[in-house]
Amino acid sequence: MTRQEAESILREKFKLDRFYDEQWQVIEKILRGERVLLIEKTGFGKSLCFQFPAILFSGVTVIFSPLIALMRDQVAKLNSLGIPARCINSEQLQEENQKIIEDSMTRKIKILYIAPERQENAGWIEATRRMNLSMVVTDEAHCISVWGHDFRPAFRRIINLVNLLPAGMPVLATTATATKKVEADIADQLGGKLSIIRGNLMRENFLLYVIKVNSEDEKMIWLGQNILRLPGSGILYTGTRVETEIYSRWFEFNHIPSVGYNAGLDPASRIAIETGLMNNEWKCVISTNALGMGIDKPDIRFIIHTQIPQSPVHYYQEIGRAGRDGQPAYIILFYNPKDRELPEAFIEGGRPAISRYKKVIEAIKNEMLGEKDLTRKTNLKQTQVRVITADLIEQKIIRQVTFGRSKKFEYITGAKELDTKSFEALRAIKHSDLDNMIGYVETTGSRMKYLCAFLGDTDQRTFNNCDNTGRKKLHVNVTPEWTEKLKMYRENYFPELKVESTRTRLVNGVAASFYGVSNVGRVLHRCKYEAGGEFPDFLISLTLKAFRRKFGQEKFDLVLYVPPTKSGDLVKNFSSTIARILGFPVSHNLIKARQTEEQKIFENGALKADNVKDAFIFDDPESIHGKNILLIDDIFDSGATIKEIGRYLSKLGAAKIAPLVIAKTVGGDLV
Amino acid sequence: MNQDLTYWLALANLPKWGPKKTISLIIQFYHEKKLTIDEFFQLPEDAWRNEFGLDSQAIEDLKNAQTELPNQAFLAESLLNEGYEVIPVTSPEYPVTLKENLKSQAPVIIYVKGNKQIMKEQSIAIVGSRSASDLSLTFTDNIAKLASQQYKVVVSGFAKGVDKQALDSALKYKGQSIIVLPQGIMTFGTGFKTYYRQIVDGDLLVFSTFHPKAPWKVELAMARNPIIYGLAREIYVAESNEKGGTWYGVVDGLKKGRKIYVRKPDENEKNANEKLIGMGAIPVDFTGKALESYLPQSSQTTLSLVNEPLVKQLGKRSRPKSNQEPKQKGLFDD
Repeated sequence: MTRQEAESILREKFKLDRFYDEQWQVIEKILRGERVLLIEKTGFGKSLCFQFPAILFSGVTVIFSPLIALMRDQVAKLNSLGIPARCINSEQLQEENQKIIEDSMTRKIKILYIAPERQENAGWIEATRRMNLSMVVTDEAHCISVWGHDFRPAFRRIINLVNLLPAGMPVLATTATATKKVEADIADQLGGKLSIIRGNLMRENFLLYVIKVNSEDEKMIWLGQNILRLPGSGILYTGTRVETEIYSRWFEFNHIPSVGYNAGLDPASRIAIETGLMNNEWKCVISTNALGMGIDKPDIRFIIHTQIPQSPVHYYQEIGRAGRDGQPAYIILFYNPKDRELPEAFIEGGRPAISRYKKVIEAIKNEMLGEKDLTRKTNLKQTQVRVITADLIEQKIIRQVTFGRSKKFEYITGAKELDTKSFEALRAIKHSDLDNMIGYVETTGSRMKYLCAFLGDTDQRTFNNCDNTGRKKLHVNVTPEWTEKLKMYRENYFPELKVESTRTRLVNGVAASFYGVSNVGRVLHRCKYEAGGEFPDFLISLTLKAFRRKFGQEKFDLVLYVPPTKSGDLVKNFSSTIARILGFPVSHNLIKARQTEEQKIFENGALKADNVKDAFIFDDPESIHGKNILLIDDIFDSGATIKEIGRYLSKLGAAKIAPLVIAKTVGGDLV
Repeated sequence: MNQDLTYWLALANLPKWGPKKTISLIIQFYHEKKLTIDEFFQLPEDAWRNEFGLDSQAIEDLKNAQTELPNQAFLAESLLNEGYEVIPVTSPEYPVTLKENLKSQAPVIIYVKGNKQIMKEQSIAIVGSRSASDLSLTFTDNIAKLASQQYKVVVSGFAKGVDKQALDSALKYKGQSIIVLPQGIMTFGTGFKTYYRQIVDGDLLVFSTFHPKAPWKVELAMARNPIIYGLAREIYVAESNEKGGTWYGVVDGLKKGRKIYVRKPDENEKNANEKLIGMGAIPVDFTGKALESYLPQSSQTTLSLVNEPLVKQLGKRSRPKSNQEPKQKGLFDD
């Protein structure tokens, strides 16, 4: 097919005039059944390089993509052009996915997007036996490489698959961010005859700024003062999930239309926010890096980071979403020297101790274990178990096998010893990447060139698109008025306790503050563990304020409190005072049925739940029936205790159980 | 990982192509024309017709197989991911005993999981009825014990009765064993759980020649018997009825000229052991010792099992790798 013929089809099917030269170069190779790795910046039009050949092929093109938002987006676009495309993912109903698989087998679908994890699904593998496949595409191919910024173990299977595909079957791998090292690694893994096409990564329309600050307060004040002055809408990236909540409440307090987003939200909320972002419903979406990869919005006008990313590659990837339309986009990074600690903790905490690896290996050598059992057997956090098992799979010491619907880890007969040298090499690289990211803050040259050089792009042109090369530097102007505003906000902000479920009568509750963000945590610790006396009055008034904010004038029939493991009568006395002030009766009848350990010694949720399972009884069970209960505790961490008591009281017939605590811990989920 | 696997899966699963037809094609392209399997698959139709003398039906089959290659790639990936290995007949890992015994009837590819090295050891098969007597089971246990003491691998078919006894005894005596499945290897789920430790320790190999997803079927159980015989250098029969898998297996083995040792039954036993002996099988006593009066050749007085030097029974872990030794023939092998 000549380029002319192809472009006439392009006009008819895609309503586009012509290909870029590099696009056509890729498409020609694909049509000849070759394998291509394409490295091009966001907005280049990588998708067309597989979508176009896909409509010419007789069978189905399968695209492995880790980003559900992107898949949904592209499917909608293709469908609007009348091209039959679908997406299989874990957020859809089983029946829906099944229907899509059937339609793919009967050739009703041309383009099928699918998450790499799907390669582990027996039903999918079965279906692939009867599909007429024409091409395999791996989007975000940098996820293949452990040297990349976003290595995903599920991609390993895609690589294995690609290596098994017959000659003449076109394969395309695409990414917007690959250093030379990652590029070489991808090429090596994809093996054999692979052409690499690399475009330039410069984004002239970016306006790059770094704002140096000395505290969280300064970031919040600058944003409060300035965000409405930025053009259009954009994204604010924070370092943790909790911060998405803190910032979005701060914006709310300042009447800035915004919404918080993180990977912990349910799919429906996530879709609603993604759609809202597309339609400019808010000035700003506040998110962890779970959002944005692959959101196909052409006019994101600003991307602001309150936390420094781990490496220039992470940063380039995250800001890549801005200004795809080529119009100016503001790219702002806050930097407080203290911010280094979070990515450093990621790097140091990213790999568990070697002794823990050995513990896992021994457990799996002994018996075949699923992830949950392994977590219990080893008393490790689920996140750690995931890191360890992924590494052990990578090193071919264990593998994950499927039994019907469950997955189990098994030891590989004759496997080699654990190789810890590769971990150290990887850690050294990550530290140096972080240093390079801080180098971006400190550089006095062109910031764009700094990023591109890191990614292996050596463009010789000059740029005037950052605060080092002609644009005005940005500073924070802390005024008494804004300091007061921030104080007001802090005293009126009460974190929600999300414990609602369909199986119990629990409703979401409220905490008076975050543990560790204000002085509340320090006071609690002193009272509980350093014999500091009763909880002081300010905690009582703060907790009452939180109660009023969440529950208003609502009446409760009974106040109960969580019987303590160690700290004596503190919670009892505190709860009695709260009950007296609110005018609700308090009961001391909720007691421990057996001795439990302190929850904080357990590292994972499953063991915490085991520790408190059936641990509580109420002395006068009949009296619970039909009651609205306020359940008080001092600190809320995993919520396992509250959930267990909620379950028990629901069984006794309680009408409603509402938790109220002094502080909620900040730890746990980061994205 | 090997792209060839995809092609081997396609070639081995050509509909209605028996091993004979496929093996002769493999001999042509691999041994005579020195082509790899992917090169063969990428040849033009003319070459298939002219250089390999394939008829239009065969070419049609190959073309269909070609369009299904991507599907086979998905299957291959899931096999490898679950720890199964696929070994084609041209591979140095393919068991020599099987190839020598079955010749053109040898399976085109085999599917295994566990310690592959086991396939290179000396091996014996112990077969017999699903509802064998206690006497037969004790005999089985005895033979498995002797074999294990001599580092011989016990091959069995994972049926009830004698097969299961042979496996359990071999493992009990810290020997090694090969299970030859009457089904596809991916359908053996719970078996892999049951024998997890033995597989991890390298004492067990699970082996199948059928499509990995094929469920158990009588036909597959029957088709498996020659494979058990083919994998073993020596064959012991604990008990056979006058029909059924064991019977047909032994009859087939005798027809192919294999030496088959049958437990000499007591006088009041109701089974077909005596009949098999009448047909040319060699009677053995409870310890596997051949009974001279029945032997056609007077020079052979004992079985290889009881003939091994005692010293070899010590220090199992220091056993030499048999693949580096010159190929040994059992005393009763041709």
